Amino acid sequence: MSDQLQNTLSYLSSELNRIQTIAGTLSSIETQHHKDLTNMGDDKLNQIAIEEQSASRQLGEIKEICLALSQKVDEMQNEIQ
Amino acid sequence: MFNIVSSFSRKIANEVVDKALERLTRDQYTENIFEMVPVAKKVGIINLMENVMRAEKGIPPGRPLGSHMRFSPWDKLLFNPVHLHRFPTPENVNISSSVTIGKNAKKPLTISTPIMIAAMSYGGALSKKTKIALAKAASKIGTATNTGETGLMEEEREAASLLIGQYNRGGWLNTPDKYKRLDAIEIQLGQGAQGSTPQRTAAKNIGEEYREVLGVSEEEDALIHSRLPAVDTKEQFIELVRKLKDETGVPVGLKFAATHHLEKEIQIALEASVDFITIDGAEGGTHAAAPILEDDVGLPTLFALSRAAKFLAKKGATNDVSLIATGGLVTPGEYLKALALGADAIYIGTIAVMALVGDQMTKVLPFEAPTSLAVYNAKATEQLDVDRGANNLFNYLNAATQEMSLVCYSLGKTSLSDVSASDLCSLDPFLSRALGIDLGYVAPEEQEQFFEGFTDLPLHEMAQINENQSPEQQIH
Repeated sequence: MSDQLQNTLSYLSSELNRIQTIAGTLSSIETQHHKDLTNMGDDKLNQIAIEEQSASRQLGEIKEICLALSQKVDEMQNEIQ
Repeated sequence: MFNIVSSFSRKIANEVVDKALERLTRDQYTENIFEMVPVAKKVGIINLMENVMRAEKGIPPGRPLGSHMRFSPWDKLLFNPVHLHRFPTPENVNISSSVTIGKNAKKPLTISTPIMIAAMSYGGALSKKTKIALAKAASKIGTATNTGETGLMEEEREAASLLIGQYNRGGWLNTPDKYKRLDAIEIQLGQGAQGSTPQRTAAKNIGEEYREVLGVSEEEDALIHSRLPAVDTKEQFIELVRKLKDETGVPVGLKFAATHHLEKEIQIALEASVDFITIDGAEGGTHAAAPILEDDVGLPTLFALSRAAKFLAKKGATNDVSLIATGGLVTPGEYLKALALGADAIYIGTIAVMALVGDQMTKVLPFEAPTSLAVYNAKATEQLDVDRGANNLFNYLNAATQEMSLVCYSLGKTSLSDVSASDLCSLDPFLSRALGIDLGYVAPEEQEQFFEGFTDLPLHEMAQINENQSPEQQIH
């Protein structure tokens, strides 16, 4: 049972790190889109750019959540060991 | 044609002004309309009109949007950019803006910007359309909105991805079927604009839908008591917090009006193991309150926040208990200064409603107030376009967060939460001392030496020094 739990926690930890990396990458891409769209100087594109910027921020939030969850999983792993 | 009309209008205006000036110069002062000017200056134009309202109705006038006084001197604080001794943040680095409230809760609340929508209740303050628009905007930007002192409105719950609910003194959200559906619970014991004063909404002003949300009968008034029902001792409060934490797992916090006794209040909140504390300064807005409550009760947001942050640090609770500041915050600069002084997040109310109605104000101006689009039972509530309002507020929240991020680059920080009191300087010696922030007039290494001279001066000498200085130099 303990082995199974350890394996599950390792899996969770690894996936959380992966999601965190993906969220970070997507956040950077959204930020770049925001800059590119703003440079076009069009009102409609500006509105899309603002939404891209907000999306970037929310991806940053997901990254933070993943980090916090990953830490909790690590703590659980340490406790079991 | 235009020239003829213009010339005719000028002639009329000239005649009217000439006659008026003639009267103003010839009439005796006691019979002169100009008497209004010194009277208004003596008692203040707001006091003058509010006294007329008192005399007319015999009841306290319900002034909307909080006190007109600006008790918190945010403009006496400035951020310190860096250039060489520490370098600014490179432009290709993202500034992190997300914040987690209640880190130790089973289900912490993470938001993508530290700006949240303040507690403004459905019915008690705002219309259903406005509440839904606020919730939509908050969800779109990734932050939380607050129910205020009311029941759980289904439409608001659906529109809000993150909903903080107030366990309130009216008792309308205080049952498990309601509070278990929230993302955080804020136990509301008071507010900046009204302290812990009881409030009452007459049954005749409660519409059918609002009555359903509150769960009151047709003839029943909506009463907000001065105390939380069944909480008459601190032990009962502690028990309530533990019960809510156990039952829900979401962050449970305390909201109270900022007061000179705040350390004592926070001490009890810490004993109850709250996850967050919300302090509502004296500048807090409201749907309507008696002027005496708005102008003469409470502690300014800035000082309350600084004292609360220092107290939490002294108790070693900074990392465990999130601090939320609210009350009269209206610019991104003030939001960031509040974060620098120790707030983890801030609530905005009045300015959020103003941003929401934004370009829709033209529907009511100049004959009605812009808030008549947003307030419950007001004349123009049905005219509010919810999606347009939500988009306006979303844009505002985005711009405000971006502005705060701009300062972070200049401070060499990578996260809004990294901005601290050391990034500020003050232009006021007393403020500098009260907040523990360097005085901007004096080099950091000479601060103590500068203030040593001050402590030797008796108070009357300080007052004389103040009088002899130019207005810009005076110590306020």
